[in-house]
Amino acid sequence: MKVFVVIFISIVCLACSSEDNSYIEISDNKTLDFPQPDFFPTPVYDLDENPPTEKGFELGKKLFYDGRLSSTGVISCGFCHIQEFSFTHHTHEVSHGVNGALGNRNAQPLMNLAYLNEFSWDGAAPHLDAFSIIPITAEVEMNESVSNVLNKLKQDDEYLALFATAFDDGEVNPQNMFRALSQFMVMMVSANTKYDKVLAGNAVYNESEAAGQALFDTKCSSCHQGVLFTDQSYRNNGLAADDRYNDVGRKRVTGLEDDKYKFKVPSLRNIAVSLPYMHDGRFKTLKEVLDHYDEGVVNTPNLDPLMQQGDELGITLTETEKEQLIAFLNTLTDDNFLLDPRFSEF
Amino acid sequence: MKKISTLIITLILLTSCGDDDLFNSDRKNVNIRFTNRIASEEVNLNSATYQNFAEEDFSISELKYIISNIEFVKANGDTYSYPKNESFFLINQEDDGSKTITLKNIPIENFQTLRFGIGVDQSKYPLNGVLNFIPTAEENQMLWSWSAGYIFFKMEGNYTLEGGNSNESFLFHIGSHGTSLDNYKVVELSSEDALLNLYENNLIRIEADVLSVFNAAHEIRINDKPDIQIDPENAPKVAENVSQLFSLISE
Repeated sequence: MKVFVVIFISIVCLACSSEDNSYIEISDNKTLDFPQPDFFPTPVYDLDENPPTEKGFELGKKLFYDGRLSSTGVISCGFCHIQEFSFTHHTHEVSHGVNGALGNRNAQPLMNLAYLNEFSWDGAAPHLDAFSIIPITAEVEMNESVSNVLNKLKQDDEYLALFATAFDDGEVNPQNMFRALSQFMVMMVSANTKYDKVLAGNAVYNESEAAGQALFDTKCSSCHQGVLFTDQSYRNNGLAADDRYNDVGRKRVTGLEDDKYKFKVPSLRNIAVSLPYMHDGRFKTLKEVLDHYDEGVVNTPNLDPLMQQGDELGITLTETEKEQLIAFLNTLTDDNFLLDPRFSEF
Repeated sequence: MKKISTLIITLILLTSCGDDDLFNSDRKNVNIRFTNRIASEEVNLNSATYQNFAEEDFSISELKYIISNIEFVKANGDTYSYPKNESFFLINQEDDGSKTITLKNIPIENFQTLRFGIGVDQSKYPLNGVLNFIPTAEENQMLWSWSAGYIFFKMEGNYTLEGGNSNESFLFHIGSHGTSLDNYKVVELSSEDALLNLYENNLIRIEADVLSVFNAAHEIRINDKPDIQIDPENAPKVAENVSQLFSLISE
């Protein structure tokens, strides 16, 4: 009788879960281990829904570095997101697109994306899988349609083979394309810096770095919070409005006057290499950024309350304090990540 | 003993596999035809002039909306959900073919209620096949590329200012605003007259009373705000009105 029940339960299991199991059953496509650092929060990205696999990652990487995602065939994701600079468009204030078109925002670094709940400077993309629609279709970026990209991919045997092995249904369709890009991007975990080593007790800060960390904890960490160095909120940090772009920030997404001039608090990991800074790349050095907080804050609508202490605007910092803060920020660079061959184009 | 265990196992199977198994009936393809009307006439793009409740004269150049998450419900509450992945449809007034949607393999039952969404449900956003709707939406300019989201309802046209002859354009582009404002709406249409009895029907007819876009639940005067897109005050009102346009018809 027991055997009978067991057999039936097995049948029940098989009958209803074949879809879930088939990921594992593809023998030539291994699931990759997600490199979850011990002290990081639980990923927001649903890794069970779209588990990174060897072939999915390979496909995502090929897509990431393929200029065919743009209308002119030359602007790939990797064109503006360069690995050595934490996947930013190094030294470019705003991103450059097809035919030399200029965007109005600075390319954001790509790292630890599995932990973020919304994407882009204003949170326009509610899910990583949907984010890439924006750069692919924006006129000033890749200026292409998703349908056209898929048509181009379908002409390529290498892509056909990769889609076939990376996904159950093997189809070249938008969902699989975006999932492959996400698989490549969520694996970009950066958590191997001097800061992390100090946190784990495997390194110690010198005097200046330690002083910088203490300052950071009191003056910066309410927004640049925790191990991700962002609370993922949208705030107006007192930048003077730039007439060239007339960028209203988060208001574009919500339509709310209260969100005007608010932008996503960026992570500060790899900050030393991801210049220039701010949503429009207006500052070239960390010193300029700190000078802004010290004496450049302008009282525009919705200025963050943390930028107004009594009658004073901004965050008062001495020159020595700025040096100490920069020493601390320099400990957030993860060279292993910036040079990791898994993510590099060649 | 054998019978009991078979019964138990059958019950387990039934509960473990979702609502699909509530229905052992034969299946068939069912069409739903949407007719967008003003007064008794089908909407005539560009050439016809209409008047709304506020006596504003207007014409319509574009009228499109997304239908999703279609469900059939019996009187006892048993619900058949059309597979989510295939459940997104674009109704485009300009394209006759788009106004009849074909649902495959629907259990033949006497249903009482038809439920569907206008737009794309945020809880599943953007998974479960939602992304595969991109090409259709792109082709019909129903994708907000800058925000990686769909336009749920789109109506564009011209209107004449009171007492004037000049034609001004208006446009309503309604969708959800990131995760902060959800303008997805569920429509529920019931029939006591066997309009959803699939033993008798292969075709379900739905009529949208387009004039009600302006005043079904909230009064929208075009001239107050001729451009309603990312608008946390007016977009939800239009979305609410749109959710009340639909009714089942028998003819």
